[in-house]
Amino acid sequence: MVLRHIRKVKNSFSSLVMSIFRKRKNLKIGLYGPVNSGKTTLANKICMDWLGEELGVASVVPHETREIQIKEKVTMKLDGKSLAFNLVDTPGIATRIDFEDFIKHGISEEDAKQRAKEATRGVIESIKWLNDMDMVLVVMDSTRNPMSQVNITILGNLDARKIPFIIVSNKIDLKKSDTTKIRNSFPGYDVIGVSARNGDMMKELYRMMLNGL
Amino acid sequence: MMRIKFVPYEKLKNNHAAVLEELKEGMIIVVDAKLSPKEEAELIQETMRAINQRFAGIELGSIDFAHVDGGWKFRSALTEKISGKKRGITLIGPAKLIRKIEQKPEELMLYF
Repeated sequence: MVLRHIRKVKNSFSSLVMSIFRKRKNLKIGLYGPVNSGKTTLANKICMDWLGEELGVASVVPHETREIQIKEKVTMKLDGKSLAFNLVDTPGIATRIDFEDFIKHGISEEDAKQRAKEATRGVIESIKWLNDMDMVLVVMDSTRNPMSQVNITILGNLDARKIPFIIVSNKIDLKKSDTTKIRNSFPGYDVIGVSARNGDMMKELYRMMLNGL
Repeated sequence: MMRIKFVPYEKLKNNHAAVLEELKEGMIIVVDAKLSPKEEAELIQETMRAINQRFAGIELGSIDFAHVDGGWKFRSALTEKISGKKRGITLIGPAKLIRKIEQKPEELMLYF
Protein backbone atom coordinates (compact mmCIF):
# COMPACT_ATOMS: atom_id res chain seq x y z
CA MET A 1 0.00 0.00 0.00
CA VAL A 2 2.75 2.42 1.03
CA LEU A 3 4.81 1.41 -2.02
CA ARG A 4 1.82 2.18 -4.27
CA HIS A 5 1.54 5.70 -2.84
CA ILE A 6 5.28 6.27 -3.20
CA ARG A 7 5.09 5.14 -6.83
CA LYS A 8 2.12 7.48 -7.50
CA VAL A 9 3.90 10.45 -5.93
CA LYS A 10 7.09 9.57 -7.86
CA ASN A 11 5.14 9.31 -11.15
CA SER A 12 3.33 12.61 -10.54
CA PHE A 13 6.60 14.35 -9.75
CA SER A 14 8.39 13.01 -12.83
CA SER A 15 5.33 13.92 -14.98
CA LEU A 16 5.51 17.46 -13.64
CA VAL A 17 9.24 17.77 -14.30
CA MET A 18 8.91 16.23 -17.77
CA SER A 19 6.02 18.55 -18.64
CA ILE A 20 8.22 21.62 -18.10
CA PHE A 21 10.64 20.37 -20.77
CA ARG A 22 7.94 19.14 -23.12
CA LYS A 23 6.27 22.51 -23.58
CA ARG A 24 8.98 23.50 -26.07
CA LYS A 25 8.42 20.81 -28.70
CA ASN A 26 5.73 18.88 -30.53
CA LEU A 27 4.27 16.42 -28.09
CA LYS A 28 3.83 12.85 -29.23
CA ILE A 29 1.09 10.76 -27.70
CA GLY A 30 1.33 7.11 -28.71
CA LEU A 31 -1.24 4.35 -28.71
CA TYR A 32 0.34 1.07 -27.70
CA GLY A 33 -1.05 -2.35 -26.93
CA PRO A 34 -1.49 -5.89 -28.10
CA VAL A 35 -3.05 -6.80 -31.43
CA ASN A 36 -6.81 -6.15 -31.80
CA SER A 37 -7.17 -4.18 -28.56
CA GLY A 38 -8.79 -1.27 -30.43
CA LYS A 39 -5.89 1.17 -30.82
CA THR A 40 -6.93 2.39 -34.26
CA THR A 41 -10.60 2.64 -33.24
CA LEU A 42 -9.49 4.80 -30.29
CA ALA A 43 -7.16 6.86 -32.50
CA ASN A 44 -10.03 7.42 -34.94
CA LYS A 45 -12.36 8.48 -32.12
CA ILE A 46 -9.80 10.99 -30.76
CA CYS A 47 -9.17 12.37 -34.27
CA MET A 48 -12.89 12.59 -35.07
CA ASP A 49 -13.58 14.41 -31.79
CA TRP A 50 -10.81 16.99 -32.20
CA LEU A 51 -10.07 17.16 -35.93
CA GLY A 52 -13.24 15.91 -37.60
CA GLU A 53 -11.41 13.23 -39.59
CA GLU A 54 -10.23 9.67 -39.00
CA LEU A 55 -6.64 8.42 -38.85
CA GLY A 56 -6.68 4.84 -40.16
CA VAL A 57 -8.65 1.72 -40.97
CA ALA A 58 -9.71 -0.50 -38.07
CA SER A 59 -10.43 -4.19 -38.69
CA VAL A 60 -11.18 -7.44 -36.89
CA VAL A 61 -8.37 -9.08 -38.88
CA PRO A 62 -5.23 -9.04 -36.71
CA HIS A 63 -2.35 -6.71 -37.71
CA GLU A 64 -4.50 -4.41 -39.85
CA THR A 65 -2.19 -1.57 -38.75
CA ARG A 66 1.29 -2.59 -39.88
CA GLU A 67 2.93 0.80 -40.09
CA ILE A 68 3.19 3.74 -37.71
CA GLN A 69 0.43 6.24 -38.50
CA ILE A 70 0.62 9.84 -37.33
CA LYS A 71 -1.99 12.54 -37.19
CA GLU A 72 -0.32 15.87 -36.62
CA LYS A 73 -1.58 18.94 -34.78
CA VAL A 74 -4.44 17.47 -32.82
CA THR A 75 -5.68 20.10 -30.36
CA MET A 76 -7.76 19.00 -27.42
CA LYS A 77 -9.69 21.66 -25.49
CA LEU A 78 -11.68 20.82 -22.39
CA ASP A 79 -12.56 22.49 -19.07
CA GLY A 80 -10.53 25.58 -20.01
CA LYS A 81 -7.41 23.47 -20.62
CA SER A 82 -5.75 22.87 -23.95
CA LEU A 83 -3.32 20.27 -25.29
CA ALA A 84 -1.77 20.20 -28.77
CA PHE A 85 -0.06 17.00 -29.84
CA ASN A 86 0.75 14.56 -32.63
CA LEU A 87 -1.17 11.31 -32.25
CA VAL A 88 0.85 8.19 -33.10
CA ASP A 89 -1.03 4.97 -33.78
CA THR A 90 1.31 1.97 -33.63
CA PRO A 91 1.03 -1.61 -34.91
CA GLY A 92 -0.01 -4.06 -32.21
CA ILE A 93 2.84 -5.68 -30.32
CA ALA A 94 2.99 -9.48 -30.44
CA THR A 95 5.46 -12.25 -29.73
CA ARG A 96 4.03 -14.52 -32.45
CA ILE A 97 2.92 -13.89 -36.01
CA ASP A 98 1.79 -16.89 -38.02
CA PHE A 99 0.78 -16.32 -41.63
CA GLU A 100 -1.61 -19.27 -41.32
CA ASP A 101 -3.72 -17.22 -38.87
CA PHE A 102 -4.39 -14.70 -41.65
CA ILE A 103 -5.48 -17.47 -44.01
CA LYS A 104 -8.15 -18.39 -41.42
CA HIS A 105 -9.52 -14.86 -41.95
CA GLY A 106 -10.01 -15.55 -45.65
CA ILE A 107 -6.76 -13.97 -46.90
CA SER A 108 -4.93 -15.75 -49.75
CA GLU A 109 -1.70 -17.59 -48.88
CA GLU A 110 0.47 -15.16 -50.82
CA ASP A 111 -1.13 -12.10 -49.20
CA ALA A 112 -1.01 -13.77 -45.78
CA LYS A 113 2.76 -14.29 -46.09
CA GLN A 114 3.23 -10.68 -47.15
CA ARG A 115 1.00 -9.46 -44.33
CA ALA A 116 2.99 -11.51 -41.79
CA LYS A 117 6.25 -10.03 -43.07
CA GLU A 118 4.89 -6.49 -42.79
CA ALA A 119 3.46 -7.24 -39.34
CA THR A 120 6.87 -8.35 -38.01
CA ARG A 121 8.39 -5.08 -39.24
CA GLY A 122 5.50 -3.21 -37.60
CA VAL A 123 6.24 -4.74 -34.18
CA ILE A 124 9.94 -3.79 -34.47
CA GLU A 125 8.99 -0.22 -35.42
CA SER A 126 6.48 0.09 -32.56
CA ILE A 127 9.15 -0.83 -30.02
CA LYS A 128 11.71 1.52 -31.65
CA TRP A 129 9.27 4.44 -31.47
CA LEU A 130 8.66 3.97 -27.77
CA ASN A 131 11.63 6.20 -26.90
CA ASP A 132 10.11 9.12 -28.84
CA MET A 133 6.84 9.22 -26.93
CA ASP A 134 5.93 11.92 -24.41
CA MET A 135 2.86 10.08 -23.24
CA VAL A 136 1.33 6.70 -24.02
CA LEU A 137 -2.18 5.31 -23.94
CA VAL A 138 -1.80 1.59 -23.33
CA VAL A 139 -4.90 0.12 -24.92
CA MET A 140 -6.09 -3.20 -23.51
CA ASP A 141 -9.09 -5.26 -24.56
CA SER A 142 -11.12 -5.44 -21.34
CA THR A 143 -12.73 -8.75 -22.40
CA ARG A 144 -9.33 -10.49 -22.45
CA ASN A 145 -6.97 -11.57 -19.66
CA PRO A 146 -4.76 -8.50 -19.01
CA MET A 147 -1.90 -10.57 -17.55
CA SER A 148 -0.23 -11.16 -20.89
CA GLN A 149 3.49 -10.90 -21.52
CA VAL A 150 2.90 -8.19 -24.14
CA ASN A 151 1.08 -5.97 -21.62
CA ILE A 152 3.71 -6.64 -18.94
CA THR A 153 6.54 -5.81 -21.38
CA ILE A 154 4.90 -2.58 -22.56
CA LEU A 155 4.20 -1.33 -19.02
CA GLY A 156 7.67 -2.36 -17.81
CA ASN A 157 9.33 -0.46 -20.64
CA LEU A 158 7.25 2.68 -20.06
CA ASP A 159 8.04 2.53 -16.35
CA ALA A 160 11.76 2.05 -17.02
CA ARG A 161 11.82 4.95 -19.51
CA LYS A 162 9.74 7.15 -17.16
CA ILE A 163 7.16 7.88 -19.87
CA PRO A 164 3.79 8.86 -18.38
CA PHE A 165 0.99 6.53 -19.42
CA ILE A 166 -2.68 5.74 -18.92
CA ILE A 167 -4.06 2.22 -19.21
CA VAL A 168 -7.16 2.38 -21.38
CA SER A 169 -9.48 -0.53 -20.71
CA ASN A 170 -11.28 -0.59 -24.05
CA LYS A 171 -14.50 -2.31 -25.20
CA ILE A 172 -16.47 -1.66 -21.98
CA ASP A 173 -19.64 -1.87 -24.09
CA LEU A 174 -19.12 -5.63 -24.40
CA LYS A 175 -20.72 -8.06 -21.94
CA LYS A 176 -17.49 -9.83 -20.98
CA SER A 177 -15.69 -6.54 -20.25
CA ASP A 178 -13.90 -6.46 -16.87
CA THR A 179 -12.03 -3.23 -16.08
CA THR A 180 -11.69 -4.22 -12.41
CA LYS A 181 -9.54 -7.16 -13.46
CA ILE A 182 -7.20 -4.77 -15.27
CA ARG A 183 -7.09 -2.46 -12.20
CA ASN A 184 -6.31 -5.42 -9.94
CA SER A 185 -3.65 -6.75 -12.30
CA PHE A 186 -1.79 -3.44 -12.47
CA PRO A 187 -2.31 -1.71 -9.11
CA GLY A 188 -0.93 1.78 -8.68
CA TYR A 189 -1.42 2.77 -12.31
CA ASP A 190 -4.07 5.05 -13.85
CA VAL A 191 -6.75 2.91 -15.49
CA ILE A 192 -9.88 4.11 -17.28
CA GLY A 193 -12.60 2.06 -18.94
CA VAL A 194 -13.85 3.36 -22.29
CA SER A 195 -15.67 2.23 -25.37
CA ALA A 196 -13.81 3.78 -28.31
CA ARG A 197 -16.50 2.42 -30.62
CA ASN A 198 -19.44 4.01 -28.77
CA GLY A 199 -17.56 6.96 -27.28
CA ASP A 200 -18.41 5.99 -23.68
CA MET A 201 -16.20 7.67 -21.03
CA MET A 202 -14.10 9.49 -23.63
CA LYS A 203 -14.42 12.84 -21.84
CA GLU A 204 -13.00 11.28 -18.69
CA LEU A 205 -10.08 9.92 -20.72
CA TYR A 206 -9.46 13.38 -22.22
CA ARG A 207 -9.45 14.90 -18.72
CA MET A 208 -6.84 12.35 -17.62
CA MET A 209 -4.72 13.15 -20.69
CA LEU A 210 -4.95 16.89 -20.01
CA ASN A 211 -3.94 16.36 -16.40
CA GLY A 212 -1.20 13.86 -17.25
CA LEU A 213 0.84 16.30 -19.33
CA MET B 1 9.20 -35.59 -28.13
CA MET B 2 9.16 -32.46 -25.99
CA ARG B 3 12.54 -31.00 -25.11
CA ILE B 4 13.13 -28.51 -22.29
CA LYS B 5 16.44 -26.74 -21.78
CA PHE B 6 17.49 -24.84 -18.67
CA VAL B 7 19.59 -21.85 -19.66
CA PRO B 8 21.47 -19.53 -17.30
CA TYR B 9 20.38 -15.91 -17.58
CA GLU B 10 23.93 -14.86 -18.47
CA LYS B 11 23.83 -16.98 -21.63
CA LEU B 12 20.51 -15.52 -22.83
CA LYS B 13 21.55 -12.00 -21.93
CA ASN B 14 24.53 -12.04 -24.25
CA ASN B 15 23.18 -14.20 -27.03
CA HIS B 16 19.54 -13.98 -28.06
CA ALA B 17 20.41 -15.39 -31.48
CA ALA B 18 21.66 -18.73 -30.10
CA VAL B 19 18.57 -19.13 -27.93
CA LEU B 20 16.32 -18.29 -30.88
CA GLU B 21 18.05 -20.99 -32.93
CA GLU B 22 17.14 -23.53 -30.24
CA LEU B 23 13.56 -22.24 -30.12
CA LYS B 24 13.36 -22.65 -33.90
CA GLU B 25 14.27 -26.30 -33.39
CA GLY B 26 11.31 -26.78 -31.06
CA MET B 27 13.10 -26.42 -27.72
CA ILE B 28 11.36 -24.94 -24.67
CA ILE B 29 13.74 -22.67 -22.75
CA VAL B 30 13.64 -22.04 -19.01
CA VAL B 31 15.77 -19.16 -17.72
CA ASP B 32 16.74 -18.72 -14.06
CA ALA B 33 15.78 -15.04 -13.90
CA LYS B 34 13.15 -12.53 -14.91
CA LEU B 35 14.27 -10.54 -17.93
CA SER B 36 14.30 -6.77 -17.61
CA PRO B 37 11.64 -4.91 -19.65
CA LYS B 38 14.35 -3.73 -22.05
CA GLU B 39 15.62 -7.31 -22.53
CA GLU B 40 12.06 -8.52 -23.13
CA ALA B 41 11.58 -5.84 -25.78
CA GLU B 42 14.90 -6.75 -27.42
CA LEU B 43 13.97 -10.43 -27.44
CA ILE B 44 10.63 -9.62 -29.10
CA GLN B 45 12.40 -7.53 -31.75
CA GLU B 46 14.94 -10.32 -32.41
CA THR B 47 12.08 -12.81 -32.61
CA MET B 48 10.28 -10.68 -35.20
CA ARG B 49 13.44 -10.62 -37.33
CA ALA B 50 13.66 -14.43 -37.10
CA ILE B 51 10.05 -15.18 -38.07
CA ASN B 52 9.60 -17.07 -41.31
CA GLN B 53 7.14 -19.60 -42.72
CA ARG B 54 8.34 -22.35 -40.39
CA PHE B 55 9.00 -20.27 -37.27
CA ALA B 56 5.96 -18.28 -36.07
CA GLY B 57 7.58 -16.61 -33.09
CA ILE B 58 7.52 -17.34 -29.39
CA GLU B 59 5.31 -17.56 -26.36
CA LEU B 60 6.89 -15.87 -23.38
CA GLY B 61 5.99 -15.91 -19.71
CA SER B 62 7.70 -14.92 -16.50
CA ILE B 63 7.39 -14.79 -12.74
CA ASP B 64 8.91 -11.93 -10.81
CA PHE B 65 9.94 -13.26 -7.38
CA ALA B 66 9.69 -9.73 -5.98
CA HIS B 67 5.90 -10.08 -6.25
CA VAL B 68 5.97 -13.50 -4.61
CA ASP B 69 8.22 -12.44 -1.73
CA GLY B 70 5.60 -10.19 -0.15
CA GLY B 71 7.34 -8.37 2.68
CA TRP B 72 10.78 -9.34 1.42
CA LYS B 73 10.96 -6.81 -1.38
CA PHE B 74 14.01 -5.17 0.16
CA ARG B 75 15.86 -8.49 0.16
CA SER B 76 14.91 -8.98 -3.51
CA ALA B 77 16.14 -5.54 -4.46
CA LEU B 78 19.40 -6.09 -2.60
CA THR B 79 20.02 -9.52 -4.16
CA GLU B 80 19.29 -8.12 -7.62
CA LYS B 81 21.70 -5.25 -7.08
CA ILE B 82 24.47 -7.67 -6.11
CA SER B 83 23.83 -10.39 -8.72
CA GLY B 84 22.85 -8.06 -11.60
CA LYS B 85 19.84 -10.17 -12.47
CA LYS B 86 16.20 -9.96 -11.54
CA ARG B 87 15.04 -12.80 -9.31
CA GLY B 88 12.43 -14.87 -11.08
CA ILE B 89 11.89 -17.34 -13.86
CA THR B 90 11.30 -16.94 -17.59
CA LEU B 91 9.75 -19.48 -19.88
CA ILE B 92 10.12 -19.21 -23.65
CA GLY B 93 8.64 -21.64 -26.13
CA PRO B 94 8.08 -21.82 -29.87
CA ALA B 95 4.64 -20.46 -30.85
CA LYS B 96 4.00 -23.47 -33.11
CA LEU B 97 4.37 -25.74 -30.06
CA ILE B 98 2.88 -23.69 -27.21
CA ARG B 99 -0.59 -22.30 -27.84
CA LYS B 100 -0.42 -19.88 -24.91
CA ILE B 101 1.19 -19.26 -21.54
CA GLU B 102 -1.27 -18.17 -18.88
CA GLN B 103 0.36 -15.84 -16.39
CA LYS B 104 -0.53 -15.21 -12.80
CA PRO B 105 1.76 -13.32 -10.41
CA GLU B 106 2.89 -16.60 -8.84
CA GLU B 107 2.19 -19.17 -11.55
CA LEU B 108 2.76 -19.97 -15.19
CA MET B 109 0.55 -22.40 -17.07
CA LEU B 110 1.49 -23.75 -20.48
CA TYR B 111 -1.15 -24.78 -23.00
CA PHE B 112 -0.08 -27.03 -25.87
